[in-house]
This record gives sequence, C-alpha cells and structure tokens, in this order.
Amino acid sequence: MHCDIGDYKGNMVISLSGDVDMHSSPALRDKLLGVIKNKPPRLIVNFRGVSYIDSSGIATFVEGLKHVKAYKGRLQFSELPQSIMDIFSFSKLDKVFEICGNLDDAVSR
Amino acid sequence: MKTVATINVLSHPRYLSLIREVTNRFCQSCGLDEDLTGKIKLAVDEACSNVIKYAYHGDTSRRIVVKYGSSQKQISIIIEDSGEKADPEKIRGRDLDDVRPGGLGMHFIRRVFDRVEFDAKKVKGNRLLLVKQAGGNDAL
Repeated sequence: MHCDIGDYKGNMVISLSGDVDMHSSPALRDKLLGVIKNKPPRLIVNFRGVSYIDSSGIATFVEGLKHVKAYKGRLQFSELPQSIMDIFSFSKLDKVFEICGNLDDAVSR
Repeated sequence: MKTVATINVLSHPRYLSLIREVTNRFCQSCGLDEDLTGKIKLAVDEACSNVIKYAYHGDTSRRIVVKYGSSQKQISIIIEDSGEKADPEKIRGRDLDDVRPGGLGMHFIRRVFDRVEFDAKKVKGNRLLLVKQAGGNDAL
C-alpha cells in the first residue's frame, strides 16, 4: 500500500493505492489519525489506486470517521473502484461515509 | 473431493497477500468469474486474519495451512491452525447497522460460502471448512 498526503484546492487529501489489509492497515491508521489530529474541516481519501480492502481497512476508516465527527469535520471518499464500492455497500457503510465521484465532486459539496 | 493445492505459510500478516494470490489463481482455474473470485478471496483472507488475531493472538511465528479442493459441484477451502480453539457460538459478525470498527469479517465469509463449519473432531487447533456450491451463474 502507498499512502500520500497532499492538497487539492485547499483541502487535505490522502491518496491511497495498492492493497489495504491487515498488514498495511496499521500504517494507514497512523497516517489517517495523524492527519485528523490537526482537525482539517474536510479530509478527502482518494481510492483511485486501491486494488483491495479488507475488514481491518474498513475498521480504520470507521475509527477515523468517529474522530472527524467529534469535531464536526467531514471525511469524504472519492474515486472508489467498483470492487471497493461493493464492499462498502455490502457493509452498509456507503450510507455512513460521504462517497463522491471524484475530487472536484468532493470539494464542490 | 480432490485437494488440488495446499499452501503452508507463516502466521504473519505480510503473507496474507500470498494467500490472496493463490486463492485468486485457484478460483480462476475453477472458472469462477471476477466478482465471485473477489468475494472468495476476501472471505479466505478474513478467515486467515482471524487465525492470526484470535487463534494465535498475533504470534507471527506459527503456521496457517490452506487447502484448496474442487469438483464439478463445489469448491472447498480448508483453513487449519494449531492455535486456540474457536468457539463457534461466539463467532458472529456485528449487526451491520451498528456502525463501529470491527466485526465485519464473518459477514464477508458467510455471504459467499454455503457452508462455514469448524471441524469439531480436530483435537488441537482449528479446521475451518468453507464450501461454495455450484449454482446460478457460478461456473465451477
């Protein structure tokens, strides 16, 4: 898994690629919670290059969302591949996370 | 049913990708479509993650054995460990409407496999039997 932190039109973006699994989730958790610690009003996670996610990866984002909601921030997802979207839908988390088509869609909301 | 492949890997999360790759190739060799292959790959990965977490309590020096079998009617995947016995009564996923971290793995396993059973005859450790029957549009 690769995880890059950047900026898109003044918003924090975490860009992920590769497999998010039990092996890589702890590193993702460190980065995600590290960014959230600064309380960005909007945090976008871009899934464009993500080929796989398991329950540990999903749990990491559920934990992140709880932190973001605590300070009334927004955690948005963009560019989810269909296979990843299917997993969020099956888990009923597509209604919990703010899922956007792309980065422009996310920042326009 | 004939066992067509067996892998024996260390109980380290870094080797889960190896199990996923073998599972992927096995499903492809059985003629399964991409969607079903992805679901089986995730389910097997979750079952092996559970072995690391609950049977071995994070000990990365143990072994996980995965056996793949197929016939015209079904595929079977058996996952064996030598760790702490699982209590099938206590293994159930969380309510999907109860949004909190964790508790999804068993849902991923049960959504794709028709049989999910621990072999009560195994004296030490666990033997989890996962069976997917041919049916609908699933080619085996």
